Amino acid sequence: MFHCDVVDIKEISLDKAQTFIESQKCGASLFFIGTVRDHNNEKEVTGITYDSHDIMVKKSFEEIYNEAIKKLDLQHPAAFVEHAKGYVPLGGISIIIAVACKHRKQVYDFSRFIIEEIKKRTPIWKKEHYKNEEAKWLDGQKLEVKK
Amino acid sequence: MKIKVELFGVCRELSDKDYINLELDENSKIKDLRNEMIKIVKNKFPENSNYLEMVKKSAFSSKDEIVEDAYKLHRNDTISIIPPIGGG
Repeated sequence: MFHCDVVDIKEISLDKAQTFIESQKCGASLFFIGTVRDHNNEKEVTGITYDSHDIMVKKSFEEIYNEAIKKLDLQHPAAFVEHAKGYVPLGGISIIIAVACKHRKQVYDFSRFIIEEIKKRTPIWKKEHYKNEEAKWLDGQKLEVKK
Repeated sequence: MKIKVELFGVCRELSDKDYINLELDENSKIKDLRNEMIKIVKNKFPENSNYLEMVKKSAFSSKDEIVEDAYKLHRNDTISIIPPIGGG
């Protein structure tokens, strides 16, 4: 069971994530929440603007979910992944990854796999805003062509 | 032929719009599009090599698929430039 989307910060909701993943077949659920912190590279951060290639992002989320199902030993897996798009202020939620499975080891593996793969291959970009400096797009990781 | 290039991430700084329209020769490939983008960057940011490096490292996509430098373009194609990524 899987849900993913790219949404405005006003639409990101832990309640929605919890409702989606809850199941009496699962004894473990785990919420990973990425938030905007107040510093990066010794600069005072006030917010981040997230840019996204929405179609490719959703495709990437679906591929990551399907790979996790194949590679990890998961029972009754459910996952909810939403990433914010646009300006997210300090402390705001940039991403929610909510997962549920039968046992606790499975949810830790599942959640970790999803966030690490998103970092490697999902086309999302960050522009950091600073207190006393001009905003800057952060360096990223080159996206490789699949052979 | 006309090709529309959708801009993302740092490449949004290349235009006030979300895209750039390029005029390329018939039978052009992604590598030709990349070279055209490099020319635009050199013209717009002659003093800043970061943008040049960014375009060199960028991938390109057609719809939801990443395409290689040898991918053949067609008239009125829409291609996205995918600079190095960093979400989460």
